[in-house]
Amino acid sequence: MTDASPPDRDDDNLLAAEYVLRLLPSSEMRAFEARLEAEPDLRKEVAAWTERLAGMNPEFAEEAATGAVKDALMTRLFGAPPPRPSFWQRLGLWQGLSVASLLLAGFFAWQLMLTGSPDPAERGPLYVSEIAADDQSLRILAVYDSNAGELQLNRTDGQAAAGRALELWVIADGNAPVSLGVLPDAEAASLPLPEEFRAGVADLTLAISDEPPGGSPTGQPTGAVLAVGTVTEL
Amino acid sequence: MSSVEEIEDLIGKVSLGDRQAFGRLYDLTNAKLFGVALRVLKDRASAEDVLQETYMKVWRRADRYARGGTSPMTWLITIARNTAIDKLRARRDSDDIDAMADMLPGSGPTPEQVAVAAGEAGRIADCLGELESPRDRAVRGAYLEGLSYAELSEKLGVPLNTVRTWLRRSLISLRECMER
Repeated sequence: MTDASPPDRDDDNLLAAEYVLRLLPSSEMRAFEARLEAEPDLRKEVAAWTERLAGMNPEFAEEAATGAVKDALMTRLFGAPPPRPSFWQRLGLWQGLSVASLLLAGFFAWQLMLTGSPDPAERGPLYVSEIAADDQSLRILAVYDSNAGELQLNRTDGQAAAGRALELWVIADGNAPVSLGVLPDAEAASLPLPEEFRAGVADLTLAISDEPPGGSPTGQPTGAVLAVGTVTEL
Repeated sequence: MSSVEEIEDLIGKVSLGDRQAFGRLYDLTNAKLFGVALRVLKDRASAEDVLQETYMKVWRRADRYARGGTSPMTWLITIARNTAIDKLRARRDSDDIDAMADMLPGSGPTPEQVAVAAGEAGRIADCLGELESPRDRAVRGAYLEGLSYAELSEKLGVPLNTVRTWLRRSLISLRECMER
């Protein structure tokens, strides 16, 4: 075997291999790429060498990049950071009622019964909800008296941030939140529950969001969802 | 759906501007492409840059995938490898060539381990094994480490012309071996 150059008939084929290996000087590489545009046979040579040499690909050890790389990539490509979790996804962060809260709600309900009609038989069912932040920084107990069609609210922990308002929302399964109004500064409040929610009250979700003074300007929550609660029949 | 079909399907969706498919494609393939960039560049920060550039190209060029005539993973690895090598070449223009010393052998599984693991890979490993070292090392150094002729010449301690002749003869032997 000598060191003489391989025969000419191999030139294009070997040029294709060198192109795939990225061994051509940049001027030759550009000339080769210009030929590729015009010569389908040359493209086939490149594809064949790409697959042949791809036999070495398993030797590239896999190593996951950090999550920050994906975030940076998405921002560079699409201009904005990944969207915040949706209202519904954030709802999923909240879990059921604590025992203590149920007892407290029961106590409020009991008071409501005492101050209302003396005859339990005349009363409709009572429902309670603990609308609470997961860290208990905001907690509101709601009792729904089906006779009055009103929600009795007792804020037991937390308050609106300075210059902000707390807005109460009612959510029927799968539908967009509907505002029940901005909570007053007082700890106790009473808000009517719209007619369309009364029949299915046991399946409602109640939520409190952080809003500008006077409430959401859009009709949908615009600020953080601070507290969420489901409704339970007493 | 096999992973090859899934990746091909995702590339098709990406070519239509499907961002969710793009995210999924990234999740499925970034470890391999990061491995490619890391092998060539030997440096995490540079490899992360290359990984981003690679996927930006994937996003823009997904519509050209079908034209390439290769398998989807090979297409992705080719983009990653070329991007990493271009970065390596740009860096080399300002770096001391000594920094490239002791690049071979690189990290990752040995050819023997790979041969056991994958049939097609086993075939090229067998064919590379038929070549006389260090000619075998020239092809491997060029493909896996992205070395240029000048770097191979220095690494193997032979003149530039000899390296090119070695490598071209290796490629001919490789082609003949794989067509047997």
